[in-house]
Amino acid sequence: MVASPVRPLPALPAELRANLPAELRGLRRDGVRLMVIDRAAQSIRHARFAELASFLRTGDLLVINRSRTVPAAVPAHREGGELVQLRLCVRHAEEWHVLCVEPDPPHRNVALREGERLQVAGVETVVRGRRADLLLLWRIDALSDGLERMLRSGEAIRYSYVPQPVPLSHYQTVYANEPGSAETPSAGRSFSWELLLELRRHGIQLADIVLHTGLSSLQDDAVDAEHPLFEEWFAVDATTAEAVNRAPRVIAVGTTVVRALETAAGRDGQVGVVEGWTRLRLEAGSPLRAVDGLLTGFHEPQASHFDLLRAFLDEPLLERAYREAVAARYLWHEFGDLCLIL
Amino acid sequence: MSGSTTRLEGKVALVTGASRGLGRALAVAFAREGAALALCARGASALGEVARAVAALGADVLAIPADVRSSRDLERLVALTLDRFHRVDILINNASELGPIPLPYLADYPPPAFDDVLQVNVTAPFRLTQAVIGGMLLRRHGVVVNVTSDAAVTGYAGWGAYAVSKAALEGLTRTWTAELEGTGVRMYAVDPGDMDTDMHRAAIPDADPSELARPDDVARAFIQLVTAADPALVGQRVEAAALGR
Repeated sequence: MVASPVRPLPALPAELRANLPAELRGLRRDGVRLMVIDRAAQSIRHARFAELASFLRTGDLLVINRSRTVPAAVPAHREGGELVQLRLCVRHAEEWHVLCVEPDPPHRNVALREGERLQVAGVETVVRGRRADLLLLWRIDALSDGLERMLRSGEAIRYSYVPQPVPLSHYQTVYANEPGSAETPSAGRSFSWELLLELRRHGIQLADIVLHTGLSSLQDDAVDAEHPLFEEWFAVDATTAEAVNRAPRVIAVGTTVVRALETAAGRDGQVGVVEGWTRLRLEAGSPLRAVDGLLTGFHEPQASHFDLLRAFLDEPLLERAYREAVAARYLWHEFGDLCLIL
Repeated sequence: MSGSTTRLEGKVALVTGASRGLGRALAVAFAREGAALALCARGASALGEVARAVAALGADVLAIPADVRSSRDLERLVALTLDRFHRVDILINNASELGPIPLPYLADYPPPAFDDVLQVNVTAPFRLTQAVIGGMLLRRHGVVVNVTSDAAVTGYAGWGAYAVSKAALEGLTRTWTAELEGTGVRMYAVDPGDMDTDMHRAAIPDADPSELARPDDVARAFIQLVTAADPALVGQRVEAAALGR
């Protein structure tokens, strides 16, 4: 990692962490706030997400991630009977890469032994060892009928700022389709179909990709600060590739969409039909060949999310936006408010 | 496939309550038309038998034992179906609960049984539809059929909870249809009529079977509805007997 030349931003006040989805805070799902950053005008405006259509133009293409969130925190028993929680990060056909943490908050990492057997959701698996590049991730034999077992016994991954369990249906976007994300692709979580259909009536197009997300935190501040990078599976189909290549302006709903489309884009900016694993890291100076704008949530400045934002925003505007979002008391994380970068 | 037409080739149908009666007949009829099938029911063994029967017809079938009252089971049903087939083109909300037998008067109806009937016959179709309609709206294409009953529109002594639930399901169909206008996604409420099924025998043990419709014939009416896409019928309460078989 190259050390960031940036002066540190003030810490995020704890009370700005959204601890419930909007629809469980007495609002509508789409009732969150929207900060609109216009890069050309260097302006920042404050609005409601439900007013999104007024910031877009006929012909704009919104690209969403239709991946469905799975209950990726699964209880497991070690050989001695100790209960741990496995958090699925990467699901290869033969091998899963999982975080192993204590079952209760603060969910500290638990060290497993190579060759150790684990009982997970009624089936046994074997720990193959650590991942060489990310030592906190354990390689285990893929569970047979693993998705079904997860759906039977897993829970949605939940971080400390969400104190009570939230039903999985609130983690799903209203367009969630194929299952596979360990954490919700949260930038799109606030969309209601009422809003999406209104956007369609305004001539704003909708296209979709799939990117199955991994973990946003490995439950270790020092490791998380290094912004660990792992592969995520994605697919861009022909309909979406054509729509992106034709659209005058492409707005990614979430950083997962940026990652998928920029992986699928050639040097000429044309997006191809691609499916596979992406390891693309986007940061300051990364070229954006396919995507023109971004709808995103607010995430901690320490998170890798901010690296990706630097591909869209120069440092002064990013810092200004951060300070303004904190001052205007926008809510952060997967159940929080949204930011549109044009 | 037999030599007949396969009007649902390449389509994916999800049928609840697929182990018996109309649900089983629908599974077989959809399989004959070339559809891939996700089937659910509470009883794993009866469901497995239906799955083997439709697989023998050449259908790509996924059988998922599930209780539609359970939100975890519903999520598992939807996620496994989408993992396998990537989409649902046709959803048939067929699973139904009749209530205590013999059917008690409303004045005598056990409240927990009333709640249970509404959960299976109204809440579950609402939740399942909500979970799969997003994909349909993205693709601007899809059909949802809610199975109703003439008890929804006629007061029969003893049919209280069932009648209330089916009237509610028809209300859900009308409202959702208004919200689906222009989306390419259609919803119907279909009254199959009195059929020769286990449920009908439980409700009316002394009915003459020769006067009852055969589920296989009713299933053909569903195929007609799903494939013909008659705009006049969208959102309407449709009687299977009035459709071409």
